[in-house]
Amino acid sequence: MEGVITKSKDVTLLEVLDRVLDKGVVISGDIVISLADVDLIYVGLKVLISSVETMERLRGAPFAGAQEEPT
Amino acid sequence: MKIYSYAIIDSNSKISDSINGLEGVGVYNIYYRDIGVVVSELSEQIQDITQEHILKHEEVVEKLMENFTVLPVSFLTLFKKKDDVLLMMREYYSDFRENLDRLRNKIEFGIRIIWSGETIRNRIIDTYKKSSANISITDTSPEKSFIKEKFEKYKLDKEFEEEANKVITLIDDFFSRFAAEKKLERLKSDNLLLSAFYLVEKERQGDFKEAFERTKRTPGDLKFLLSGPWPPYNFIVLTKNADMFNRKPINQDLAGKNTL
Repeated sequence: MEGVITKSKDVTLLEVLDRVLDKGVVISGDIVISLADVDLIYVGLKVLISSVETMERLRGAPFAGAQEEPT
Repeated sequence: MKIYSYAIIDSNSKISDSINGLEGVGVYNIYYRDIGVVVSELSEQIQDITQEHILKHEEVVEKLMENFTVLPVSFLTLFKKKDDVLLMMREYYSDFRENLDRLRNKIEFGIRIIWSGETIRNRIIDTYKKSSANISITDTSPEKSFIKEKFEKYKLDKEFEEEANKVITLIDDFFSRFAAEKKLERLKSDNLLLSAFYLVEKERQGDFKEAFERTKRTPGDLKFLLSGPWPPYNFIVLTKNADMFNRKPINQDLAGKNTL
C-alpha cells in the first residue's frame, strides 16, 4: 500500500516503555477501569517498578541497554 | 469481559487485516461517526503483565499505522462495556478529529544525545580555577567559605546549563528543518543532554534519517541515538477534562452508531 512505512528500528523495551505507559491518548476517570478494578495492582506495579528502576539506572549510565538504529 | 483499547483511527470501517491483540484475541473497530477506536476483548483478567504485553500493544498500534492515521492509546486503558467506549468517543470526538487531521501522514522520531557531563563540568572547573588563580582570599571564615562554595556550585550549574543549551540549539536548529513539530527534553540527567521528539512528514523521513547520519558523523564527543518511526505518542494534545465522565449519563442513541 502506498505510504506504508518501511520500519528499520531496533525496538528496545525502554523506548517502548517511554511511550506506551503514559503518552498518547491518556484517558482517566470513572469510565476507565483502574488497575484496582481488575486486580492488576501487583502485576501493574511490577511493570512500573521495573521500568522506573530501568530509567533510574539508565540516568546514571544512559542507554546501557538502548540500541542504536541500524541503518 | 473487559474492552482493551489500542488506538483511535481515522476510519469507521471494519479492520480488514487480521490483527491479534493481547492474549491472542483479534482486534476490531468500534466506530463513532467517521472515526473509530480499535479494541480487543479480554474475557479473563490478566494474571501477569510481562514485557510481551507491552510489546504486543505497541505491535498492534504499529500494524494499524500501516493503513490508518493513529492516535495510540496508552497501555492498559480498559473499559467495562461498549457503551463506556462510545461515551468516551463522543466526549473526545472533536479532540480526536483535530489530532487525526493534524497528524495525518506524519510519524515520530526520537533522538537522544549523550555527552559526558563529568568532562564538561571538569572543563568548566578548570577554566574557573585558572581565571581565579591570581585572586588572593584574605577572609577564610566558615561563613565566607560556605557562601563561596554555594556561589561556585551555582555558577558551575549555570555554565553547565548554558553549554548544554548552546549545543542543543545547534543540533535542534538542524533537525527542525525536517520536522513539522518537535518536543525537547533537556538535561534529564547530567549525561543525557537531550531527548528530542520530532514529528516528520512520512515523505520526508528519508531526509530526516540522512540528516541524522550526517550529524552522527560530526567529530566530537557526542553520542547520537535514533529511534523510529513511531506512532505520534508525543504529539497528541487533548483538551477535554476526563472528570466529565463522572457526571454524564450514557446516551442510549450511541448504541446504534457502531458495529462490533
